[in-house]
Amino acid sequence: MNTAEVEILLVDDSPEDVALTLHALRGENLSNRVFVAHDGEEALEFLFCTGPHAERSFDPPPKLVLLDLKLPKIDGLQVLKQLKGDARTRTIPVVLLTSSREERDRIVGYELGVNSYLQKPVDFDEFRKTVKLLGLYWLVTNQPPVINVKSHLAGQR
Amino acid sequence: MSSAGTKLGKQDCAAPQTKLRALLVEDNALDAALVLRALNKDGFEVAANIVQDEAEFTRSLRAHPPEVVLADYNLPMWKGMDALKVLRAEALDIPMILVSGALGDVTAVECIRQGATDYVLKDGLARLPEVVRRALREKQERSLRHQIEQDLALKVDELARSNADLEQFAYVASHDLQEPLRMVTAYTQLLAERYRGKLDESADKFIGYASEGAQRMQVLIQDLLAFSRVGRQETSSASVDCNDVLKEVLQSLAAAIAESGAVVTHSELPAVWADRTQVAQLLQNLIGNGIKFRGPEPPAISVLAEKADERWQFSVSDNGIGIAPEYAENIFIVFQRLHARTEYPGNGIGLAICKKIVERNGGKIWAESQPGSGSTFKFTLPGHGPEERIVAQ
Amino acid sequence: MMHLLLELLVVDDNPADVALISEALAGTKYHSKVTSVGDGVEALAFLYRRDKFVHAVRPDLVILDLNLPKRDGLAVLAAMKAGPDLRLIPVVIFSTSQLRKDIMRSYEMGANCYVTKPGNLNGFFSAIKSIEEFWFGFVNLPQKESNG
Repeated sequence: MNTAEVEILLVDDSPEDVALTLHALRGENLSNRVFVAHDGEEALEFLFCTGPHAERSFDPPPKLVLLDLKLPKIDGLQVLKQLKGDARTRTIPVVLLTSSREERDRIVGYELGVNSYLQKPVDFDEFRKTVKLLGLYWLVTNQPPVINVKSHLAGQR
Repeated sequence: MSSAGTKLGKQDCAAPQTKLRALLVEDNALDAALVLRALNKDGFEVAANIVQDEAEFTRSLRAHPPEVVLADYNLPMWKGMDALKVLRAEALDIPMILVSGALGDVTAVECIRQGATDYVLKDGLARLPEVVRRALREKQERSLRHQIEQDLALKVDELARSNADLEQFAYVASHDLQEPLRMVTAYTQLLAERYRGKLDESADKFIGYASEGAQRMQVLIQDLLAFSRVGRQETSSASVDCNDVLKEVLQSLAAAIAESGAVVTHSELPAVWADRTQVAQLLQNLIGNGIKFRGPEPPAISVLAEKADERWQFSVSDNGIGIAPEYAENIFIVFQRLHARTEYPGNGIGLAICKKIVERNGGKIWAESQPGSGSTFKFTLPGHGPEERIVAQ
Repeated sequence: MMHLLLELLVVDDNPADVALISEALAGTKYHSKVTSVGDGVEALAFLYRRDKFVHAVRPDLVILDLNLPKRDGLAVLAAMKAGPDLRLIPVVIFSTSQLRKDIMRSYEMGANCYVTKPGNLNGFFSAIKSIEEFWFGFVNLPQKESNG
């Protein structure tokens, strides 16, 4: 996929949750603009345009990062810390979507500057509803930090 | 030494007297006298200053500006041609005529090339009056032309400023009007929804009119803003793939297309050199019109492009109600509508915006149509930018 | 776990917009209590529980306009992010401005999200309802403070 068109970065190592999330987003016609990273390291490579994603550019950024907490290699809070700590990625909306029920995780997440924190519902249907609402809220209701992505693309041609 | 304001007596003259202020650069009194006599004989009443060096020349130039300078080519202390340098330094456009003894043709041509107006040989002074007359005539024509150019430049400036003011005003007005308008629109709508059927019938009707009016005003202001924005914003030209742009435009029009059952077809579209956002707006307005001004059948719109020299000519055709040929030019004028508001919606800015966009990007737009047989809107855009011509496509 | 009563602070100098926000929220399934203030100075007084706001309740969410008298929205945002108690409160910028610089500055200064005020009634209601539903219905808010 052309990584310049990615609107959602989904960072989750659970194949079932990824499948369910993509299915829920497909209902809103958003699933073909999702890039999936399966661990924290890949997420950072994508967002900071390094390693296998060296040809990607910071602009335009994704409109939303859906981030799980428990990830292999580099965990979600570490990823969040690096994102919010760098001026190039600091304004990208990040939503922690996690099965963790720890109050501590929630507080630390907000302290690190996460835009919102949601617990993954256990129920299938509730999960789908949550993801659908997330997609709609952050891609439709919300104004993401970059306005006209396509005009940037045009300039790069 | 110089003699200020030497005036020689009037001689018998054939022509009527023409006053002439002259500055002579000459060290030989006899030569000076001969020059002045030649002029007097031909009807010039000369008021002359005679100088010999640069300092005197400059002083006299400033104190009594002459209409013509007559300079000897070769003086012991100064070269006649150096007088030109002084004239230039003082930024004076005064004809300088060289009066000289033998002067080779090559030298003469060189002097004229360097800026001398003409030259006359000392043993050919009979020519001098005519040479002076011609020099003065040319000077007059030059001054006149200069004046006209200055007036024109001033007018162009004023016009540009006035245009800029107007566009600024249109922008500010429409921008500032949006906020109070938003209030009126929202609350008339709220009133309509909240109190429908709860007050009397007239109230419903009145609120309806107010609501409609407010909504129409909103669209009008938004269109005005769009129109004034085309003029204000920098047009950033780049190579634009029109197939891509068309795809985006059709997405934005998806609802209108679905609702009207419209079918939009297109040929393979080229890349043009233009502002991408404006091209999108242009196509959106034209295709939108094709959908809006439809006849009884579902709209069928086609977008084609063909090469015309260095440009591309696009045609957006529809099967709608068409336009009478006598209005084909009017429709591009802002706010010009051909139909009552009850027949077709819109406030007549769409095509004016199209025209502005096309012209800003270096093209032309026109309509070909007959009432009842659909319309075709054609416009041209450059195929490539200035540098790209060199690179092979 | 959801609060029984959620506190919403609306900072907007246009009473017509504040009324619209209240209208939009009336009758939703979430029980939000809306408090509104009309300028940046009042907003901070409320948040710091100063002067007449000494008994104010800490809001669960702030809906913040940008163009405010006395101190503007970005100044309020900056002050909130500087204070240890206030900086975790989610802030939704709700403004008519679509200017790139306003959007970017808001995000840079820590706004959680940015919603443009729609020009039509239905869009406006829809936006406010979406904001309420997302933040009060789905998000796990940072603080659980006993209100009342």
